[in-house]
Amino acid sequence: MAAIAARLVPTKFARRPRRPIGTGALAWGLLAPALVILLAMTIAPTMYLVGASFQHVNLLGTGSTFVGFRNYLEVLSDPSIGWSAAATLLFVALAVGIELLLGLALALLLSRKMREINLLTALFVVPLGVAPVVSALVFRVLLNPAYGWLDWYLQSWGLMGNPVDWLSQPVTAWIALIGLDVWQWTPFVALILLAGLQGIPSEPKEAAVVDGASPIALFWYVTLPLLRPFIAIALVLRAIEAFKTFGSVWILTAGGPGTSTELITLDLYRVALQDFNVGAAAALGICFLLCLSVVMTELLNVLGRNTDILED
Amino acid sequence: MTRKTTGRPQLTRRQALISAVGTAATATILPDGARAATSAIPAKPARLNMLYATVEADSDAIKLALPDFQREFGIALHLDTMPYDSLQQKAFAELASQSSYYDIILVDTPWMPALTRKIQPITDMLLDSSLTNATTLDIQDFIPKVFFDTCVYKTDASYLHWPGAETIDPRAIKQAGFEIYGLPIQANALTVAYRHDLFSQPAEQQAYKAKIGKPLSPPGTWDEFAVTASFFTRPSKRLWGTTLMAGAGDWATDDFKTLLACFGGDGHMVNDKFETVFNSPQGVSALSFYVELIRKLKVVPPGTTAASWDTAATEFGTGLTAMSMNYHTETLSGNVHGSIGYAMVPKKVQHGPHFGTWMLSVNSYSTNKQWAMQAVQWFTGKDAQAKMLTTQLHPTRRSAYAIATQDQTLAGKFGNFYDVLGKSLEVGVGRPRLTNYADVDRAIWVAVNDAARGAAEPAPALHRAAGEVARLLKQAGYTH
Repeated sequence: MAAIAARLVPTKFARRPRRPIGTGALAWGLLAPALVILLAMTIAPTMYLVGASFQHVNLLGTGSTFVGFRNYLEVLSDPSIGWSAAATLLFVALAVGIELLLGLALALLLSRKMREINLLTALFVVPLGVAPVVSALVFRVLLNPAYGWLDWYLQSWGLMGNPVDWLSQPVTAWIALIGLDVWQWTPFVALILLAGLQGIPSEPKEAAVVDGASPIALFWYVTLPLLRPFIAIALVLRAIEAFKTFGSVWILTAGGPGTSTELITLDLYRVALQDFNVGAAAALGICFLLCLSVVMTELLNVLGRNTDILED
Repeated sequence: MTRKTTGRPQLTRRQALISAVGTAATATILPDGARAATSAIPAKPARLNMLYATVEADSDAIKLALPDFQREFGIALHLDTMPYDSLQQKAFAELASQSSYYDIILVDTPWMPALTRKIQPITDMLLDSSLTNATTLDIQDFIPKVFFDTCVYKTDASYLHWPGAETIDPRAIKQAGFEIYGLPIQANALTVAYRHDLFSQPAEQQAYKAKIGKPLSPPGTWDEFAVTASFFTRPSKRLWGTTLMAGAGDWATDDFKTLLACFGGDGHMVNDKFETVFNSPQGVSALSFYVELIRKLKVVPPGTTAASWDTAATEFGTGLTAMSMNYHTETLSGNVHGSIGYAMVPKKVQHGPHFGTWMLSVNSYSTNKQWAMQAVQWFTGKDAQAKMLTTQLHPTRRSAYAIATQDQTLAGKFGNFYDVLGKSLEVGVGRPRLTNYADVDRAIWVAVNDAARGAAEPAPALHRAAGEVARLLKQAGYTH
């Protein structure tokens, strides 16, 4: 009876088991190396960054002076920074959105049981092994209208008359930039979704087929909902990386034509590592971090909601 | 050791005696080249460390001369080379952290306005006959424009240019409150490369004569440049007149500032009074001409409004253009059978090719300043520069160019490049001296790029850039 009563008591009222003396110290001892590394590698630099953002840091001169919010005002009143922030959001939305769609299509293709699938999977993964800077250099040559392959083949096949000056106009430069990111990162998304597809149990699918579901209905009502956690994981991981994109843009367009493809990371690089204006760069970095935190919190909520299904 | 620049206390009599004995002993075993330094340097370091650029300032040239230096001075010189961006970050980080590791640092001119408190002024050392070798140094042998633009700064007003004269006089420089911060080692200037084989073809010459009424030759003026470029532009045969570098980047600013100077404007773009002098009638004319070449005459290959130094070199090298402008010798790829000649960038009312130069400087935190200065003196010296010609160092001395133009081996290898480069450096124009030049540069190349691709007319584009530059100058504390 007592046992039954004990089982009926809600968990939160249940008495916690008493920990043996010394367990706490042992736990902290075990955690200590990780905490020290976290403190040294993440928290301390962040604190330094916050401190620097309120100072005029003259690395090569007379030292630092406290300037209050002047760095933040300088950064936030710069119209080009505002454009860069908007361009970054657009880049992430377009690139990650397209990668999710194509990655899903690729994953569905690769999940089919065919002999050639292993070879295809290996080939599709190749872009992941290429450094973004190298990819950008290759794309830059391929897209050159005077000696690049892309325009040459498009013209040879009669698909266009005059060569397209891809990197000279904002719209085509954006297409090139998104195209490069999609080429590079779609396989990553596809791999995550492929793992998800291979983990979906066959019973719900078989039950739906028995109930007469069409292939589209099967995908829409069975496969896609079960794949949601993996889509959410891919979305979060890719979005985080896409926000940090630098090397490929720097090499492919350098922010041009004009400033049309200038992302916030390019501004950060210029202010921090070309002007060595550490205070302004720190303020910009903090603003970027705060914005990213808001976006990432939302994305993590999406992830949390969607991964509930895995716990069920 | 007792120099004011070291900031160290005066020596005691005992220390001075020991130092003198040591110095005398060292002097007897030192080779001639190093002997001059001994009176002021009690201890010779076993090694000096140098930070250098991999490609931009031709590290192969330094490597070529290293054994001679080590043999002559008995000092091992450790050379670290890095690509441009990494080099700047490394140099700034070393100086910001007051590191004494590198004794000698290669400095590009745009960096220097921020570094006048970190790089050691060497004017006093140059004036000290015990630290210099008159034959090796021969300071009058440096190309004056290159020397002044690269090395002479005012410590507390690093934005000021030395009001140049033909004579390089360290004493006058010092008396005027300026300092010499190093010695120039490499000087890059914009030059024209042309397909000598095309220009010398009888059929081309006859066709040009028939069409234009003049003999075909490398253009001497910008008007002739436009005519010649138009003549060679044959898109159906995949041949265009010239390359230009109108893409988003420093190269577009450099193209524009060259034209600005040639059209009679101040090629520095922002003068020492912080006036945005690029937004002037000459500036508008220069940019309008640039845009005309690209958009109206269409003498450039497609993609020019996204082109950089590399693109221009590739286009010329693959035989797509008859002419090109760049900062180094050009090479034709294997399937292009031809030869290359060089010419100065044309003039309108004057010559004014952009030049960008590098100097070897002494780290103010080095513990071997005097020896480092001697190394700087030696590597930029007459003999070293002459030797380094074979690996394509772009020298900074008139004597090196005289040797290069007379040397048949070099002429066979590089054509008339050295002759043209030497003449271009004599009339070249450098950059404004601003700590936030990267931002100013960007504002201007955005205007050039916008105009070149038709997104804005030249005058409004320059006007907008001038406003942006004025804002940046105010933000940096130059104006109020």
